Amino acid sequence: MTPSTPAPTEHENHAPLVRPDRADLTALLGAFCFFLSAIEYMIPKPLPFMRLGIANLPLLLATELLPLPWFLVLALVKVVGMSVISGSLFSYIALFSLMGTLVAALVMWSAKRIGGRFISSVGVSILGAVASNAAQVLLAKYVVFGDAARLIAPLFLGMGLVTGAVLGLFAERFAASSRWYARAAGRPDA
Amino acid sequence: MRLRRRRVWLRLRGLTRPRSRTAGEAGRLPRLRLLDWLVLATATALVALSALSVYKPGGGELSVFISGEGGEWVYPLDKDREVEVDGPLGSTIVAIEGGRVHIHSSPCPNQTCVAAGAISQAGQWIACMPNAVFVRVEGNATNDTIDAGAY
Repeated sequence: MTPSTPAPTEHENHAPLVRPDRADLTALLGAFCFFLSAIEYMIPKPLPFMRLGIANLPLLLATELLPLPWFLVLALVKVVGMSVISGSLFSYIALFSLMGTLVAALVMWSAKRIGGRFISSVGVSILGAVASNAAQVLLAKYVVFGDAARLIAPLFLGMGLVTGAVLGLFAERFAASSRWYARAAGRPDA
Repeated sequence: MRLRRRRVWLRLRGLTRPRSRTAGEAGRLPRLRLLDWLVLATATALVALSALSVYKPGGGELSVFISGEGGEWVYPLDKDREVEVDGPLGSTIVAIEGGRVHIHSSPCPNQTCVAAGAISQAGQWIACMPNAVFVRVEGNATNDTIDAGAY
């Protein structure tokens, strides 16, 4: 993260490949969210609540690529995509999806901006996953299951820790080796 | 040989970097920074704390707590029976059999709760999100506060 993010195009005009427009980038990452949601949905899971969170990968990458308004648009696209694919758009389960994603999105974006170079995608991703899962446990407590929801917490938070770490490691590797990413982030990819 | 041709093709499409660049990075884990370790430590502590608060060592008889739309019911784990619990989608049938509980059938679309199998240890649970049914096994609670056997 450079302190002053240059305007999308003027800085890069000399480069053979222009930095993608933010709306285009949001659309592309949103499409990835849809795709990864479908993959996530296809993987069988033994327990409800269990999620790998792979659809959070575009959000994780976007913490560096998009300004907050576009970032939130992407988060909403993800929620709609997930709900459409799992068929829960018009049920209260979509509320969990919305809550989890929004909390994860805000936490990850802030962590990235505040942490700067002292935090990598691994930390950002773990924070997002654990925060999102914690928010959903709280929601489960107040909306559906009552006090018994505390039983869900250890497994759910533990899952968030593990899947968040793995996803973060992947994102870090991807960001370090992808030319597309370097270009989208406005970095010279030499 | 084929792999190499593939790499050249990807390279031409601008999808990967030249081999020399990736070779150095391949297989190496990213370097974690200060705040990463802090986050990792905090999250681990949080998981450990929540686990400690739930899985308390405690003897005594185990009970099955079933909560549905209308409230919560408690049954002894060692007596076989079938319980019907109503939820927003219909009735979920919970079976207690040979000291284990499982969800026998559910009106939910994903059937995750049925696939979850049987539980028998304190702290274990099965949840059905769509039908808002939660089944847990716990040690003897103060049963006088709960309307036991209301069914």
